[in-house]
This record gives sequence, C-alpha cells and structure tokens, in this order.
Amino acid sequence: MNHLHPIRTKLRGLSMLAAALFALASPAWAHHSFTMFDMTKRITLAGSVTSFEWTNPHAYIEIDVPDEKGAVKHWSIELGSPSILMQSGWKFSSIHAGDKVTLIINPLKSGQNGGFLSQATLTDGKVLFNGPRQEPPPAPTQK
Amino acid sequence: MNLKISTATLLAFAPAILNAQSAGAPPDLTGVWGIYRGGPGSDPKFHPPAPSPPVLKPEYDKPYQDKRARESEAAKRGEQLDNSSARCVPYGVPTMMSIAIYPIEIIQNPKQVTIISEAFSEVRRVYMDRPQWKLEDVAPGYYGRSVGHWEGDTLVVDTIGIKPTVSGYRGIPHSPQMRVTDRIRLISPEILHDQITIDDPVVLEKPATYTLAFKRMPADYEMVEFVCDNNREYVDENGIVRLKLHDK
Repeated sequence: MNHLHPIRTKLRGLSMLAAALFALASPAWAHHSFTMFDMTKRITLAGSVTSFEWTNPHAYIEIDVPDEKGAVKHWSIELGSPSILMQSGWKFSSIHAGDKVTLIINPLKSGQNGGFLSQATLTDGKVLFNGPRQEPPPAPTQK
Repeated sequence: MNLKISTATLLAFAPAILNAQSAGAPPDLTGVWGIYRGGPGSDPKFHPPAPSPPVLKPEYDKPYQDKRARESEAAKRGEQLDNSSARCVPYGVPTMMSIAIYPIEIIQNPKQVTIISEAFSEVRRVYMDRPQWKLEDVAPGYYGRSVGHWEGDTLVVDTIGIKPTVSGYRGIPHSPQMRVTDRIRLISPEILHDQITIDDPVVLEKPATYTLAFKRMPADYEMVEFVCDNNREYVDENGIVRLKLHDK
C-alpha cells in the first residue's frame, strides 16, 4: 500500500523554472494565474478516478486516494483546457471512472484537497503532461 | 503537333500569366495560425518588433499603478484578486488575438474576413470595403464593429465600439473612444504578423503598438470548441479568487 501514500516533495528550483517558462510562453493566460497553487511543491497521488471531466475552462480529474491507514480522501485536480491538453496527447477518453492512476500535482496553498496537475501516469503506464513542453517565444526585435 | 507546341508554349508562359493575374489580388490569409515561438536558430526577420509600451495619462496611470500594486501584494500573500478570467468571460478585441497557446482561424473572402479564436470560441467579423460607422451608432460590446481594406499586401482592420469593462491590453483601462487598428501581413507563406495599435485619446498619452507573430498550423488541424460550462472558480466575500472543490 506504500505506493498509495501521498508523498510530499519539494522541487523548488525546477518547478519555479517551469512556471517561469510557462509564464513567458503565455501572452495572456487563458483563464487564471497559478497564484492559488503552490508551484514550488509537488505531491504524488495514487488512487481511483471517480470522474474525468473534459470541460472548459478546465478539465478535472476527481480521484479517491487512500491514505496510509486505508482511509480514503477525495481530491479535485485541475488540468488545462481540452484544446491545450490535445496539444500534448490527451483525448476526451484518456481516463475513465474506475481507472487507477498516479498523479503528480502542485497542491492548493489553502491546504484543501485540490491541486493543479503536473503529470499523470495512466493505467497502461502512459505518462501525459498538463500541456505541451515548449520553447518560450522569441524576444521582440529592437528597432 | 500544333497542339503539342501550344501546350508547351502555355506551360512555359504559365508562371508569368499567373503572376500577372495575381499581381492585384490580395494574399490569402485563410488558415489556422498558432503563436510563433521562433526557437534556437530561427530567422530574426520572423520575430515581432518590440512593443511601444502604453503611456497612460496621469489621472488613469495612478489608479492603474495602484491596482497593479494591490494585485502584486495579493500574489505575495498567495492570493489572486477578482478579475474577468475568474468569471470566465471572453477577452474581446484586441486581447482575443493571442490567448496562451490557443490558435486563431482566419477565413477570408472578398466581402468578409472572419477571425475565430479557439479560446472561448470568440468571433470577430471584419466587413471589407465598407465605411466605418460613427461611434455613437455602434453598440458597445466585446468585438465592436470591424471594417477592413487592403493596403498592398496588408489587411488593415479598424475596430471601434469596445465597451470599457472588456479586459484591455496588459490590463490597462480604456474608454469608449478606444480605436484598435490591426495591420495583418504575411511575412512568409508560413509566418503572419499582426501589428496592433491602440489609440485612446481619453486614457493614453499616445497610441500603443505591439505585434503578434503567428505560424501556420498543419493543414489538417481542426479547431476545438470552447464553451465555459464548468467554471469552478468563484470570488469570495473578500474579493479573492477561490476554487470550488468536489466532495466526490
């Protein structure tokens, strides 16, 4: 059951860099900033999906996660929008209710059971990221 | 034999004939365009020129700077203040032209150029070679009224009638008198630039200009729908954006 424990990890440097690149790559973020999420913390959640909502402005994974004593806690995990996810290999049918998946998330700063997806490992072992990995846009040319 | 000669002659002259026919025709911008990112080794001529930063009149600059400071202070506390994105309303003109990494689709015919943003499925209709209306005749909205014409290879779009509550470029305020001019031009068959000028004699000291660069998406790309029917964000009693969580 060990692999089902929420594991708190701090990858401050890498996550900050990733957040900075994402900010650079976004002329205007489609929906919101990441302020409510702690982008310096990553938590691993392994559990059973209760629903996968392929919706705008965001997709969501609802998931039941057992703790070390077997007590189940429910988490709501936010993803990008369907069109952003499709650019990194997702489909509306990538996850189904009942699937056992492992998610790495940036948790809510409030401490509630919610977060923003970083990556998902699906039932078949396939790993999907929360949006395409990309270069920042070119620096404007000075004239 | 005569037929063979005439076919060969035609083929030989075909490029010249086609060029002559297309000399006065505007370029076709029809297609789906994603944000151009350049990357290592990319051609600098495709990169957008640097923007001219907006300069606000003092009576608008002070409240704008104060608002920015409040947002910055809230962000340091880990909070996001109320904004239009929390309510999931569209961006309107001109912000809709570039939202995160969502593409735009351009559908061009001689009478109308239609621009659709994948984010929020926003639609901008540009009526070609029609006069612009008087400002008082345009119902204020997210897209106002756009008319266009060709200046050589450049599609020039004039837009008025954007209501002040529509989120502005870099969050700057704007008055009902704001006029947005897009100058859209192919830099190469695969690269498109849109130079956007915001002129607002009430709010700005001088017009502000910035340029967006786009790259043509694969021909088989199909635009994705976007209807905001699962917005879980809400603004609490203190004006802070929160996320609704589900119990199961």
